Order: sequence, then C-alpha cells, then structure tokens
Amino acid sequence: MKIVVIGAGQVGSTVVEALHDEHELTVIDLDGSRLGPLSYRHDISTIEGNGATRSVLLEAGIKEADLLIACSSRDEPNLIAAMLAKKLNPRIRAVVRATEVEYLEAWHERQLDVDLVVSSEIETAYAVSRILGVPAARQTDVFAEGQVQIVEFDVEAGAGNHAVIGRQLREARIPADSKVASIIRGDSAIVPRGAESIEPGDRVIVIGSPRAAQEWSSIIAGDRPRLDDVVIYGGGRIGIAVAEHLIRQNIRVRMIESDRDRARLVAEKLPEARVFHATGVDPDFLERERIGQSRAAIFAMRDDAKNHYAATLARIHGVGFTIAIVHEPISIEVFEQAGVDVAVNPRQLTAEELVRFAHDPRTQQVAMLEGDRYEVLDVTVRAESELVNTRFRDLPMTGALIGAIVRNGKAIFPHGDDVLLPGDRVIVFTEARRAAEVEQAL
Amino acid sequence: MISSARLRRAVRRDTIGVDVGAALNLIGALVRYLSLAFLFPAAIALGYGESPWPFLAAAAITAASGFALERVTRGKEQVGTREGFLVVALTWAFAAGFGCLPYLFSGEAQLGNPANAFFESMSGFTTTGSSVLTDSEALPQGLLMWRQFTQWLGGMGIIVLALAVLPRLRVGGRQLFESEVPGPEVERLATSIRETARRLWVVYIALTGVLAALLYGYAVAGVDERMSLYDAVAHAFTTMPTGGFSPQRESLAAFGAATQWTVIVFMVVAGTNFALLYAVLVRQRARSLLRDEEFRVYLALVAVASFVIVAELITEGILEGEAAVRHGLFQAVSMLTTTGYASVDFNEWTTLAAVGLVGLMFIGGSAGSTAGSIKVVRHLLIGKSLRRELDVAVHPDVISPLRFSGRPVDEKTLRAVIAFVLLYVGLFAAGALVLTIDAAIGDQVVTPFEAIAAAATTLGNVGPGFGFAGPFGSFEPFSDFSKAVMIVLMWLGRLEIVPVLVLFTRRYWRA
Repeated sequence: MKIVVIGAGQVGSTVVEALHDEHELTVIDLDGSRLGPLSYRHDISTIEGNGATRSVLLEAGIKEADLLIACSSRDEPNLIAAMLAKKLNPRIRAVVRATEVEYLEAWHERQLDVDLVVSSEIETAYAVSRILGVPAARQTDVFAEGQVQIVEFDVEAGAGNHAVIGRQLREARIPADSKVASIIRGDSAIVPRGAESIEPGDRVIVIGSPRAAQEWSSIIAGDRPRLDDVVIYGGGRIGIAVAEHLIRQNIRVRMIESDRDRARLVAEKLPEARVFHATGVDPDFLERERIGQSRAAIFAMRDDAKNHYAATLARIHGVGFTIAIVHEPISIEVFEQAGVDVAVNPRQLTAEELVRFAHDPRTQQVAMLEGDRYEVLDVTVRAESELVNTRFRDLPMTGALIGAIVRNGKAIFPHGDDVLLPGDRVIVFTEARRAAEVEQAL
Repeated sequence: MISSARLRRAVRRDTIGVDVGAALNLIGALVRYLSLAFLFPAAIALGYGESPWPFLAAAAITAASGFALERVTRGKEQVGTREGFLVVALTWAFAAGFGCLPYLFSGEAQLGNPANAFFESMSGFTTTGSSVLTDSEALPQGLLMWRQFTQWLGGMGIIVLALAVLPRLRVGGRQLFESEVPGPEVERLATSIRETARRLWVVYIALTGVLAALLYGYAVAGVDERMSLYDAVAHAFTTMPTGGFSPQRESLAAFGAATQWTVIVFMVVAGTNFALLYAVLVRQRARSLLRDEEFRVYLALVAVASFVIVAELITEGILEGEAAVRHGLFQAVSMLTTTGYASVDFNEWTTLAAVGLVGLMFIGGSAGSTAGSIKVVRHLLIGKSLRRELDVAVHPDVISPLRFSGRPVDEKTLRAVIAFVLLYVGLFAAGALVLTIDAAIGDQVVTPFEAIAAAATTLGNVGPGFGFAGPFGSFEPFSDFSKAVMIVLMWLGRLEIVPVLVLFTRRYWRA
C-alpha cells in the first residue's frame, strides 16, 4: 500500500516505524532536519515542504496513494491536507490527527469529509479511564432525545463481570432494556447470536437506555474496586479531557492548576470538578486539602520534570496510585524508575490509533459507527409495511437489529413477543449495504 | 500672550469631562416626543365631556421646552457613554416634572400643591403607586387616566420606548438601555438594541391588551358588575408595569373575586423577565421558563410568602376559606412584585403579616421585568456568593465561579450586585431615618414602623405604606420635605440607584 504521512514529529516517527516494513511510505515535513534521521533509519522517501499545499501533495504522489495520514502537530494544516487529498484522489482514505475536540465532534456529525479523526486528548482520556478501571464508552451516539443510546466499549483483558463476559449471550445476564448490536474481534465483526460470547479484548457495541448504558459500564469494569476520588494536576487540554471522562463516570474530580486565569476557565468549563489554584508542590496545600486521601492522582502538567516532582511528593503524602502523562518518550523510564504506577504517552497512543486504521484496508470496522460499514437508521414504520404486526422473534434477520422503538414519544426496548405497529419510530442498527433494504421493508 | 491664552482655554476645556450640551440636546428631543403622550388623556377628557385644556396646555409647554432645549444645544447631537447616565437620570426627572403639569392646570384642590403634584407624577412614572390623593374618585376621568398612563409609560421605560422608535438613538443606545432596564445583566433578544427594545414593547403592549380584554370581558359577561371598559383599561395600564395606581379609592377591593384572581396572575407575569416571556410567548419555548433559575426561585418565593401570609390570616381568624387564600396571595404577590394594589385593607392585619409584607418589598420581581426593588436574581447571587465565602474559608485555594442558570457569572458582575444591594439597603436606612426625624420635627404622628414602610415602599417602587399611608390611605399628611425625600427615593429606585448616584461623584464630571 502506498501511504503519505504528513508530519515527522513524535507521532509521525512512531507511525513510520510501525508501517515502513510492509508499506511504501512518503513522509512530508516542514522541517528538513527531522526528515534526515528518519530516512537514514528507514527506507522511505521524504519531502521537505508544506503538506497542506497542492504542489507538495502532488509531488508526494497523492494521486496514486491509498492512504493519507496527516499527523503534524497542527490541526488545520492536517485537515486541509486531508481535504485536498480527497479532492485530488477520490479513492484515497484520509486519517487526521486533531487536538481540538470541536473538530472531532464535527467529524462525528459527518461535517468533515475525512475517514477518521484521532484526538490525542480523547485517546489519553480513554486510556486513563481504562487504567483506572472505569471504562468510559469510546463513543456514544444518542437517539430519540436521549432516550436511546448506542455505546461502544473496549473490554479489557482480565476484567469484566463474569456473569456477562465470556459467557454465551443467551445465558449472559445482559442489563434490561439493552441489546448487544455487534462484537468486534480483531478485524472482523461478529453478529451477536445467542451462541456467541463477549471475550476480553473485544470491542462491543450496545444499544439501550441511558441507565442500561451505565450498567454496561460497570459490567465492563468488572468487580475491580471502584474509584471515587481522583486528583488531576494541570488543567491543560489533556487534563480537561481526562476530567470530563471521569466526571461522566460519576467520579469526584479535583483539579490543581497553577495559573489563576486558566483555573477559572477550567472551573467554568467543568462545574462538577473542584478546581484549586495552587502549584501542587506546596506541602501546606497538600495537607490542607487532604490530597493524600485521594485514591489516584493524574499528572497532566506540561513539563515532565514538574510532573515527576509532583508525583513523588504526592506519593510521599499517601496517594495510592499515580498516573503520569509524559511528553518525551524517555520520560517513561524515568517515571517507572521513580515509582509512578503508569506512564501514558499521548503521542504514542495517537500513533497506535492511526496505525490501527492503516494496518488493513478492511479495518474500517474499527471505526465502526463512524465508518461506512454500519449504519444506524431512525425510521418511522409505514402502515402498509409487511412487517407491521409481526412479532419481533419472527422478524427476518437480515443483518439488522431493531434496538429500540419510540411509541408515543416513549422509548421501548422490545422483547420477542412485542409487535411492530404502524407509526412506530424504530432505531435500527444495520450493515450499511443492507440499509436501503431495511428502510424499504419498513 | 497668545500661547498663554490658548493654554488657559485648553486648561478650561479639560476641567469638565461630560458634554452637558449633548446630553441636554438628547433630553430635549425625548421631552419633545413625550408631549405626544398628553394627547391620550386629552381624548379621554373630551370623550367624558371634560375640559382637555390642562393636557393640551401641558403638551404645548412640554413640546416648546423640548424644542427650545434642542435649539439651544444645536450641533451637539452625539452623546457618548459617559453622557448616558446624565441623559437617563435627567430624562426621568424631566418626565416627572412635565408630567405633573396637568395636575397643576386642572385646578384640582388635592393636587394644587406643587409638591403633591410632583410626588404624584414621580410616583406615576416610576411605577411606584404611592398617592397623595385622599379621594381619587373625585378627580375627572381624564386626569385619572393620565395617572394610569404615566405608570404604563414608565413601566417598560420611556427610554426603551424611545430606543424602539427614535432613529437618532440608533448609535450608543446600549448604555442608555442598560441604565434603564432593571437587573444586573441585560439579555438581548435580538442582535440590535433597537430590535430588542421593540420586541420588549411588543410583548408589553400585547400583555396589556390581553389583560384589558379579559377584564372588560368580565364586565360584558356580568362576572364583575363593578368593572367597566374604563376600569379594565385603567387597571391593565397599571398591572403590567407593576404600578399600582387605581382610579378606585379602594384599589382592587372594589372588584370581585374573578378580577382579583386575574390580576394576581398578571402581577406574577409582570414580575417575570420579559426576555423570558418573549421566549415563551413568541418563540414558543415553554421549557425555557422552568429551566430559568431565577423564575423558579421567584415562583418559590411567591409560594412561600403567600403560604405564610395565608396561614397567619387563617390561624388568627382574620379571614377564612377561599377569601383567605385569595387575599393572602393577592397582597403577597402585590408587595413582592412591587405592584402595590390592595384587595383588602391589610393595615388592619396582624403585626406578623405587616412585617412580612414590608419584608416582601425588598424582594422585587425578576431582572428584566417591570418590577422594582432588589430583584430575585440579586438575592440569589448574593446567597450563592455567601455560600462560596464559607467554602473559601475552609479551602482558600478553591476557584469556584458562581453559576446562574448554568452559566458562569463573572466577578465584576457579582461585585456590582453586592455594591447595589449595599447601596439599596443604605439608602433605605437613610431614607427611613430622615423621614422619622422630619416627622419628629413637625407635628405629624408617624411611628417608626410607618417611616420604615414609607422608605421601603418608595425606594422599592411598591406603593402603599402602613398607618395613614396604608393601601386605602394617602401620603398627603407627610411634610413637603418628607415628600421631597420620597420623590428622590422613587427616582433612585426606578433607575436602580447607580445612574443617579454617579452624578453626585466628582469623578463623573472630571475629564
């Protein structure tokens, strides 16, 4: 496969390292000094120039390329490059690294014509909440004014409630008002029939009520002791993203930010968090606020050295579990040496997510809901549909799953004996190629 | 020599930082337009076979004065933000001044004293509703309708009206708008201030029309035989601005239960933020009503206040059944929204009820409503800020922005709110003290409670006080000096103190 990579920084280098063996790579960067070492180490071609310009993209052979990975550190050039590439070569798939959450949201709502947007902040937040044993949903789509949710979870190895995970679905105790829509294992999607089971390492997609989605969250978490109090050092973008995720899981978050204006901004953005204006290395402050009693602390300040010092001090004060967000790869070893429990590298995570997409052309399944393999339809049943008054257990299985019906404004999660009535609004999870078929049948 | 003369001129020009000429020019224009307002009572007078001359003469004098003021200051048509305070404060003083001309010209003995006439006029424009009349029903219909009409004009604000219709106020209107519309923060209904002002007036006119139609419907249907078209319009004119004037000597006690219940509902509506009413009525967003924090607290306050008053009335055996609920609710709502109607002479109720009603005068309706006093949002913000102070006492490093309806409130706004409440309470205390001292110097019998109630009712733009100034009484017995004090209190209260008070600071006038 021919791949064009824009950006030869930490993320770009990691991407190149992972892909150079199997694929033909062209790397573009504004800074020639970063390209040199890379091209000595790996067999790739390099171009010094602005990847967001047409001439440079053409020079890189964008017309013959299969994939563009735009992973420079700046969002807008990445997006412009992806959009230009799509115009120059309609066949190409484009993956973009973006830090701004707004871009991610716009892409979720299909307002950005790219195949995948990966945000370091969000990936870091997922990683942290997985490490803390409070798996946040990777993605939540909301239907029928919030009464129906479609949620995507990663099932960690060695975790999960054994009444559900590892059991055949027909025997598993699945929360009421919810259904498993799909199980993704490796590169393939499994239709969740009764004989199938959810295994550690899978990614599951669930349709259900908001309450059922919460229950699923605790099923995925398993019987690990639940955290209730976390301290985050640093109210930067990563700190905020992590805080938002943890708050959504009903965890009490305290945040320490040393800049007063920034602290105020964070406090305005996150009403549920307690925000302190402090350096985090003042022993009086740590003592006064009983920081040592928190179950876990996350160090997301901009400077690795500061994180290192603060983490050590927090451990002395009695914080049980420490996670450091690192910016330089070498810092991981330093932190491990210093006794920090986990070091998370956002750039590493971003690169991994980008590479996942590149590994196999069929891996669009990874980006399940947002990709074009699956679709969620929200349709109203016509009176003349043949399926009206059919019991759910008798509906023909055509690769589609009715997750919920909205009758008189209320969401119902149907069982086998329920029947479909004309005028029902149904939320259907279906393979994209069957979408038209399903729509016609209803 | 030339250079020193220039220097002297340059120095002199810098000593005053407010363009008084420009301010007066704009005031002149506003006054000139105000003269049109006299035509309405003149028409009523003609319709009732009374002399329209007091109104026509007042209109002529007002128009001529406005015109002259504009003429003298010609060429200074640009007002800046600094002049805004002067324009707003003086416009209201001038409106009350010219508005009292018909009272003086009518030859009516009750209003012959200029202090009385000015008091009545200021009480009208500021939607206070305190009256010096001892027998309002003796007045001609035209003059009574003018009283009602001044409240209606003052309710949504004469400057807001001018912003909506006068083309010359297209620039720099924001400052004027914010000085006149009550509440700490002005919510815009449209991108332009002009369109916002228009929409506010449209809602205001529409609600007044609905109320007048309803009340007149009671007259036609025979539900309330005391009601007439005249009374329907007159009371609609003073309910929507939370004014409280009534052509009837016995205020709303003259009417039946149906009318009183209707007026209760409309008083509550008038005490609601008009931006919110616009969202609900025009944009059909009924949900925004319950999502609005101030509105919820406002309703809760109405409920709690009414419950206390009703419970007191029933346990003390003053009233019972539906009458107790109706009168308790009516008085509580009337005081809380600073309307000032009475459905019964609450002067004769117990001390607890009286103290409770005076306490309600300090609440006021919502920001952006026509109500006076401190307003619910300020109470709410101060409560939250005090709670935060307790938090900060324990956790000195915590940063917790106050939130109002989910949105963060910046510290500047909060400081202004605290300053306003301190000023309000201070002015109330000073006013009550001066009234008490003045009563002691003269021979009037004013109890301390009555003096306190009089200061609270005028500063809060409520209306009735206690004792001789009770709901069916009159402010006439107060000395002229006391009346002057109360006139200033009404003026300060309507403009929410700051635009008036800054005029008395040196920093305002300095460059």
